[in-house]
Amino acid sequence: MSQLAETSEDLFPILGKPAKELRALGDARHLSLSDPEWAAIQAHFKALKREPSLAEVETIAQTWSEHCKHKTFTSPIRYTEGRKTRTIKNLFAETIVAATEAVKKPWCLSLFKDNAGVVAFGKKWALAFKVETHNHPSALEPYGGAATGVGGVVRDILGVGLGAKPILNTDTFCFGRPDYKGALPEGAHHPTRTLRGVVAGVRDYGNRMGIPTAGGGIWFDDDYRLNPLVFCGTVGIMPQWAVKKEVKPGDLIVAVGGRTGRDGLHGATFSSANLGADAPSSAVQIGHAIQEKRVLDALLAARDKKLYGSVTDCGAGGFSSAIGELGADCGALVRLENVPLKATDLDSWEIWLSESQERMVLAVPPKSLKALEAVFASEGCELAVLGEFTKTGRLVVMHHERTIVDLDMKFLHKGLPRVEREAVWTAPPAGKAAGGAAKKAGDALREMVGHLNVCSREWVIRQYDHEVQGGTVVKPLQGVRHDGPGDACVIWPHAATGDMEDFSCFAVGHGLNPDYGRIDPYYMALAAVDEALRNLTCVGADPARAALLDNFCWASPEDPRQLGALVRAAEGCAAAAKGFGAPFISGKDSMFNQSKDEKGKELPIPGTLLISAMAPVPDGRKAVTMDFKGPGNALYLIGRTNDELGGSLYHRVLGRAGGEPPKVNPASAIDGFKSLHAAMARGHVLSAHDLSEGGLALCAAEMGFTGEFGCLLDLDEVPRDPRIYSNETLLFSESPSRILVEVKPENESAFLRQFGKSAKSAMVRRMGQTTANPILKVTGLEGSTILEEPLKELKEAWQAALPKVLG
Amino acid sequence: MKKPKVLILRAAGTNCELETANAFKAVGGEPELVHISELRTGKKKLMDFAILSIPGGFSYGDDVGAGKVLANQVRHTLTDLRQFVRLGRPVIGICNGFQVLVKAGILPHSNACDQSASFTVNDSGKFETRWTHLRINTQSSCLFFKGLPEMIELPVAHGEGKLVLKSPRHLEDLKKTKSIALQYVTEDGKLMGYPHNPNGSIFNIAGLTNPEGNVLGLMPHPERFVSLHHHPNWTRQTYRKAPIGLEMFKNAVDYAR
Amino acid sequence: MSVKIQAANVHVIEVKLRGEFNDAEGAAAFALLKEQGLTALKEVRTGRLYEVAGSLSANQAHQAGKDLLCDAVTQEFRLVPAAPSPMNGMNFWRVEVWLKPTVSDAVGATVAEAIAEGGLPRPAAARCGMLYLLNGRAVKAQVEKAVARSLANPLIHRVVVTEAHP
Repeated sequence: MSQLAETSEDLFPILGKPAKELRALGDARHLSLSDPEWAAIQAHFKALKREPSLAEVETIAQTWSEHCKHKTFTSPIRYTEGRKTRTIKNLFAETIVAATEAVKKPWCLSLFKDNAGVVAFGKKWALAFKVETHNHPSALEPYGGAATGVGGVVRDILGVGLGAKPILNTDTFCFGRPDYKGALPEGAHHPTRTLRGVVAGVRDYGNRMGIPTAGGGIWFDDDYRLNPLVFCGTVGIMPQWAVKKEVKPGDLIVAVGGRTGRDGLHGATFSSANLGADAPSSAVQIGHAIQEKRVLDALLAARDKKLYGSVTDCGAGGFSSAIGELGADCGALVRLENVPLKATDLDSWEIWLSESQERMVLAVPPKSLKALEAVFASEGCELAVLGEFTKTGRLVVMHHERTIVDLDMKFLHKGLPRVEREAVWTAPPAGKAAGGAAKKAGDALREMVGHLNVCSREWVIRQYDHEVQGGTVVKPLQGVRHDGPGDACVIWPHAATGDMEDFSCFAVGHGLNPDYGRIDPYYMALAAVDEALRNLTCVGADPARAALLDNFCWASPEDPRQLGALVRAAEGCAAAAKGFGAPFISGKDSMFNQSKDEKGKELPIPGTLLISAMAPVPDGRKAVTMDFKGPGNALYLIGRTNDELGGSLYHRVLGRAGGEPPKVNPASAIDGFKSLHAAMARGHVLSAHDLSEGGLALCAAEMGFTGEFGCLLDLDEVPRDPRIYSNETLLFSESPSRILVEVKPENESAFLRQFGKSAKSAMVRRMGQTTANPILKVTGLEGSTILEEPLKELKEAWQAALPKVLG
Repeated sequence: MKKPKVLILRAAGTNCELETANAFKAVGGEPELVHISELRTGKKKLMDFAILSIPGGFSYGDDVGAGKVLANQVRHTLTDLRQFVRLGRPVIGICNGFQVLVKAGILPHSNACDQSASFTVNDSGKFETRWTHLRINTQSSCLFFKGLPEMIELPVAHGEGKLVLKSPRHLEDLKKTKSIALQYVTEDGKLMGYPHNPNGSIFNIAGLTNPEGNVLGLMPHPERFVSLHHHPNWTRQTYRKAPIGLEMFKNAVDYAR
Repeated sequence: MSVKIQAANVHVIEVKLRGEFNDAEGAAAFALLKEQGLTALKEVRTGRLYEVAGSLSANQAHQAGKDLLCDAVTQEFRLVPAAPSPMNGMNFWRVEVWLKPTVSDAVGATVAEAIAEGGLPRPAAARCGMLYLLNGRAVKAQVEKAVARSLANPLIHRVVVTEAHP
């Protein structure tokens, strides 16, 4: 067969060329291949005694891209911390995977291997969860980039196991501040435009697909102004029998969905490169949600008829990576002339590498083809047989008579040379925070409620259809007027299961705070996991059943300090997983999030970790919201307050730097969460809300103005480090693992009983009560009133901030 | 007891069909999801069903206008729809389904073929999801609202839900024929502007019925309020009423029996 | 400046909201353009443009506009003549925003499908564009710059700004 590349224009001569020339050739095509990678390719083809074809080089570059292979996380690192240096062989395996194996949860059904992580949901069902980033495309074209980000992660869910039905979208963004007034380099969008475009893109794609968007968050920091982060997540549900997939030699390669065009070429390699002014316009697409809805409807109908053995989505790298992955263990023969095209003038390699959206690839036993065709035809969805899976161990691609790719699967998937990188971590000097004069508690609080990082997200949330599928039993907006900040959404997937008698629900929560990471990424990671689990616990989810997802967005790993911080964050994730007994089930990383600013200086993003957590709510009818429910109820604070104002919102508002970041003690944290969960299951909890940015003061204010009742808090009753003498520290410290809980007086002793010994160890303590008068009133350590703020005014400031800058 | 068959119409982009089916099932109906292509080929027949429901979603992406492409298909494919209506069988169009019924000329007057109403982009310029207070027109004979309290709550979720009429004369007609089934109001029942009227609809109209009362089109989603736990305030002890959406589907199923 | 040259078998169907209806999309565009410094702007009205290529005659394109693309109550439509319209100073601007040919056009695909389903010849291609009619004094370069920063992204859009009738 191997009549490779008869015409000379198909060839991509590399043999005998010096590294410099290869690098230039690669850069001209946006291949993002390093020198050692070029050397490995050269050696491979030298042994074969032939030149590679263009399509082969492109295929290898896509398969080996940071986007597809996650080289940073899986290559060796020489890590220096203080005076100690050690070698990490595989950061991912040694931290996240190792911790997950250590906690060993039988309800994890599929970890790290497939397109999403999968956990059991009851006896019959399984939940799949995946979070992806679409940062670079969203920076270039916010609307299209975000929309195709949603489309991509939804396809991950359609392509996990034999396909799951998407039942929840989550979206978390990091932007420059919308009121940024400084200069921007040529071609960069203003953060306001990026925000509006991204929200509209998520809205239009998610709403059209009929998937509720009910979770997520936004973080503003001007260091994101050139590299916004767009995290798109999807949860899907499937019967447990559909978790396993298998490709058999002889199965047909069947492409379904949209046609192939010149869209999105070089998406995978591009996402591994620095964002520059020369971004290829073909890397940007708009997306066609209804096309994807057709695929969804047809695919799940075909799944239930058991018409195919495996499926995956076409994402970065297009057919090359989808078919390359499916056939990795056997081999594949592809005939490109069978691909339905949008335009007729595509080159062979363009068809093979195109990243046109809304396409999936199935492995179909020949006997099922007819039935499969009927299902897809009835949904108006196109289908084409592209070839078959073989047992040759080779990836062979033909276009008419020409063979354009003939590669050894083993080389393609295992041939990537691992290059050791340097990483350095220097602990920040211990010591007190500096700068910024103190403010009166009331003044500080008023400024904090209107701060962009905590103010109301209603402007965004209302634009998402967060109730489609009729299962959002705890909504993102809560309280008397349906406008308060819920901790997490609770989803009752009856539309997917068809069973309205079963009230098994699940919740999804998030944790993210790059300001802690500026001090120490290790504690940032712990705090993010803690925050995500706190959020879940607050709505009634079982914290002992939480599954975690990690999404790292980082600047260049070629900078040893950046890589050192990344190692530190990954180790924090591992410590959190072990400490909380919560496995990671999936994750993703996005590197090189840095660009040249208007003066030509590199602007890196702060190292950013999004933790997403999902846990079952055993009975959705016992879920809890965060709004105060009535006057005269007891307020309990769970968790200890320490002097941990480093990276806090209070410091940001005062302009202070340094200080201790919140340090999680997972063992006592999970204890508190489990006890609270038990109390909720018995119906002893009226409302619960976690203490995060802004600490106790902001938490109480939010519960108050959402429920339209006031409260009276006594700081002397706060469970705390006895060395704290400052009211401000008690009000605004962001110590982790704390939750404020409202309990009816007649339930107090039953509530406390759930905390067992910890009630005695002062981890939970009554420190206030709700009042009819909507005022937040706080008694300080010395016994006098130190804060007395009308909640109505706080709410107005909290609500006004975003509309003021967005219109 | 007899289970009336409910046709739940699907097309590319409809997306509320499953929860709508669950709602009908819960009140004793026998829902069947039918793709419009199955009606076109004759594989399924509208007249074999007792109830028609056109669910919410974004049929054909709402490209060219909300519900417009599906409305054209309904005109050409569901040629027996007018007869179905004349026979008094219940028809409910929710959100996108309402837009389809209006653009296909079935509402407000199912015996005139001309389109006399339509929808434009919400006055706010944005897609919005929110719970609304609504007042049922107790004068109208709409079968879906039989026995319901005058004041109800349901959520809306749409970007193109502002009902407009061809001319002011049509509003007088609608009042006279008692075709206005549902209006957006404040909690205490007053006609007020945004956000109570979430889209700026004329005369705060949220739903229309035909004079005979067997066809209902409405922007709010009754299928999203079929359990107490759908209400945004179910965790506050203040909310303990029956889920209104379920009652509406029950009325249709009971009627069809 | 580039006025689009239309081949005989390419029709551009323009669909606009009638003047008596509130144009919320226009109001949003108006606010965005003001933010970008078009301070003398008085109003923006919007419409859709459908470019249909293939074997449709002018009559058939007209029929497609009437039956499939234009709402009978809220909208009006016309076939855009190939010849440029006469100018009227700097007080009215017509802005067309089209996706570049390399970018897939989902609405265009729906339109082509709907036309074929409506019994007309299937178009070889259909594209959808946004139309903004600006009322207010401005200089062309200023309009182009404001549009590129708000309503269009030069990376994926082709923008055509022409002086227009009121």
